[in-house]
Amino acid sequence: MTAFILRRLGTLVPMLLAVTLLVFALMSLAPGDFLTPVKAQRDINPALIVELQKSFGLDRPWYEQYLRWLGNILRLDFGYSWTYKVPVAELIAQRAPATILLSLCSLVLAWTLAIPLAVLAAARPGGWIDKITAGAAYFALAIPEFFLALLAVWFAAQTGWFPIGGLTSLDHDFLPFGSQLLDIAWHLVLPTLVLGLGGVAGTLRVLRANVLDVLRAEYVTAARAKGLPEKVVLFRHVLRNALNPLLSTVGYAFAGLLSGSLLVENVMNYPGLGRLVYEAFIREDQFVVLGSVMVGCTLLVIGNLISDLALAWSDPRVRYGR
Amino acid sequence: MRIGHFHLLLLGCLIFSSCSKPPPVAREDHPLPDGIDTARVEPGRRGGVFIQSVPGEPSTFNPLVSEDATSGGFIGLFLDSLTRYNAVTQEVEPGLAIRWDIGKDNKTFTFHLRPGIRWSDGAPFSADDVLFTFQAIYDPRYPNRSAFDLSVEGKPFRVEKVDFLTVRITTPEIFAPFLEYVGGVGILPKHRLEPAFRDGTLQKAWNVSVAQHEPETLVGTGAFRLRSYQPAERIVFEANPHYWRADSAGVRLPYVDFLVTKLVKDINASTLAFATGQTDAEGLSPDNVAWIERFAKRYDFLVHNRGPSPNTGFIWLNQNPGQDASGKPFVQPHKLAWFTDRRFRQAISHGIDREGIVKGVLFGRGQPLWGPETPANKKWYNPNVTQYPYNPARARALLAEAGFRLGEDGKLRDAKGNLVEFTLNSNQENQLRVNMATVFKENMRDLGITVNLAFLDFGTFVGKIQDSFDYEAGLLGLTGGGDPAGGMSVFSSKGRLHQWYPNQKTPATPWEARIDELMSLQLRTLDYATRRKYFDEVQKIMSDETPFIYLVTANAYVGLKDRWKNMKIPPLGSLVWNLDELWTVFTP
Repeated sequence: MTAFILRRLGTLVPMLLAVTLLVFALMSLAPGDFLTPVKAQRDINPALIVELQKSFGLDRPWYEQYLRWLGNILRLDFGYSWTYKVPVAELIAQRAPATILLSLCSLVLAWTLAIPLAVLAAARPGGWIDKITAGAAYFALAIPEFFLALLAVWFAAQTGWFPIGGLTSLDHDFLPFGSQLLDIAWHLVLPTLVLGLGGVAGTLRVLRANVLDVLRAEYVTAARAKGLPEKVVLFRHVLRNALNPLLSTVGYAFAGLLSGSLLVENVMNYPGLGRLVYEAFIREDQFVVLGSVMVGCTLLVIGNLISDLALAWSDPRVRYGR
Repeated sequence: MRIGHFHLLLLGCLIFSSCSKPPPVAREDHPLPDGIDTARVEPGRRGGVFIQSVPGEPSTFNPLVSEDATSGGFIGLFLDSLTRYNAVTQEVEPGLAIRWDIGKDNKTFTFHLRPGIRWSDGAPFSADDVLFTFQAIYDPRYPNRSAFDLSVEGKPFRVEKVDFLTVRITTPEIFAPFLEYVGGVGILPKHRLEPAFRDGTLQKAWNVSVAQHEPETLVGTGAFRLRSYQPAERIVFEANPHYWRADSAGVRLPYVDFLVTKLVKDINASTLAFATGQTDAEGLSPDNVAWIERFAKRYDFLVHNRGPSPNTGFIWLNQNPGQDASGKPFVQPHKLAWFTDRRFRQAISHGIDREGIVKGVLFGRGQPLWGPETPANKKWYNPNVTQYPYNPARARALLAEAGFRLGEDGKLRDAKGNLVEFTLNSNQENQLRVNMATVFKENMRDLGITVNLAFLDFGTFVGKIQDSFDYEAGLLGLTGGGDPAGGMSVFSSKGRLHQWYPNQKTPATPWEARIDELMSLQLRTLDYATRRKYFDEVQKIMSDETPFIYLVTANAYVGLKDRWKNMKIPPLGSLVWNLDELWTVFTP
């Protein structure tokens, strides 16, 4: 087992190398660089620009910049943001909590809504619950996330029931602690719905199929024959067995914790990592972009690993190693 | 149902929390210093919160790092300077220095600091802080913008302490914009930043992370001090209880308790926040004014016309005679011959329907522009420059004089029979520029000139202008205003933004040589009338030779909530010039 985990983590190294190399090459191919907006200002001395280029290493060819960056990474130095003059790790840590909060909320929403609905839908295939959930799920899957986010912003602006973007109100600092929490919860409603709806739909469809499969098993017939109430049959016997394949999607959810909400954050003005990364891309703030790409890749690999391990733990037929 | 009750409770709390007010604020009361500055305004009442929104994010709170206007704006709220530049009158006024003497040589300035002033943490302010600030600026370990602005031909100013409250600054040569530039140097607290200065980490001091976790360490002398900063959400400033200004009734400024800035994603979000009554002030672009004014009654605000903005828009033709590494000229030789012919440029200028651009692109909210400064820059604008009103007949006459012939097919050809055709570049992000370029193309077709439009990414375009030079014509804007010294990189033939032919070793034409001469002459005298005479001539030459074919300048607008009193709106620069003097009868 340990060998398996180590081997998996070992694949991270070539993958990170390839991805960062690609990102670096693409960024240097893109027109302009971090200093382009500075160059277009009329009262900036040319000597300062040369000075800044030197201090950022932008006067060197891109492969040399890449190798230097790589050298620093080996010493666990992820560089600092040119825009903010703050170490990249610190900057990511500063913005990550808001994003993780949003992702977790939408994940919880997806699972708490999808699981009971899927079981109920599968209990009577073709029944009204099944028809409605299927229709809603196709609808939710068909609408792109950013468009849903736009709709949500429009809805908030029209009704005034929810705040337009952000995570806290303007007077947040002046509120007592309890109201501060409620303030955050109130701001989270719309982004959570927007981000979670796609998840609800996807999980629902997968789980429904699994439940239908399990329902045909002999032990379900046995349970029913014993005279167990249908509720107990469905939720205690069927659901437990049907959940197994869903465990493998947990890994993907983990990978999406930090990077999944980029579009929604940008449309809904949400103060998380997505906005930071997007702005860093636009400004070509190299180290921030590279840092976030690395975090995303690492999470993806670790997430996959976790779901494989979870599968082995829950299903005795799956074994790794050797 | 328990859950139902909980939901009701939640809803109730939400409604409560969404309309709860900040509690009344007890402000620290400290005795006024001897050197207090008394504001000449109607005395007002303390209290209230001023709310604004800003697109983007401050990148730092450290003036030695800041290059962008957003960060600079926030730094200016808590750091004051020796002098202050009154954006309304465009005059230099006393700041942390109560007065100054100028030596006979016009190079020595002795600043007398206000006695008794304290930093926002209560520590006394003195000449040592001024000395420390300049030391930090000139330190080669910390390359920064001010170091280059505050030197003459690479030589720094000499800064000496005369006594506890007196500083003498000597410039190596006479330096005309000295007082104005000193007004842009926020004085740093030595007692706070000296350790970072010593161990070489000064550029990392006061970064966004420090501002978030230890806002109280950002100590200044300005009207406000930082209370909290939440990245991508908001910045809250509170009144500085040690501020050095008071009103005539002896009440220390600023009147407002808090200044809250909402950080939003882009300019559209910022405009929307104002239009829906969430913020107190907002700069508005001409194309937004009409729909926003419809909300004025509902949210009690007024849209003020600030008059012409300091932004110029212009077209230029690439006159760079150089060639790239492979020996290919940047501009084809026959086209370069047109572009360097003054009559060709003047004819184009006469062929542009600027009134049409104002009407069609700016909805009538702007005016034609003929020279490098707009009327917004009252102190330096020269109204007597050469104008090129829309006159296609005059344009055709000029073209004929320069040897161009209009063919049977309605197309213009030069004396050698080359079809007159060129490509105009602009950046695609700016819709107003895209629209102007389209009008220009139509106008030129009437003269028989074929203009192709190519809209590029801003980065690509700047690369062409400043590095590769492989383009024919460009349309861009620059923000003018302020002292002529700020235009050095545009007007000087050595300049980086001398876009028609940048970085010249020696001036290519006699008139460029004359501009170079005038620009260095105006720098070497402190007398406004003399400087004005020189800079008027620069503007006149620019309009005669039209290397930049100026188009139009849009008006600037600012929307303001009615509840604020003592509001002064400057024609250029920040929306509200005197935040410290604002007061309101209503609390929010």
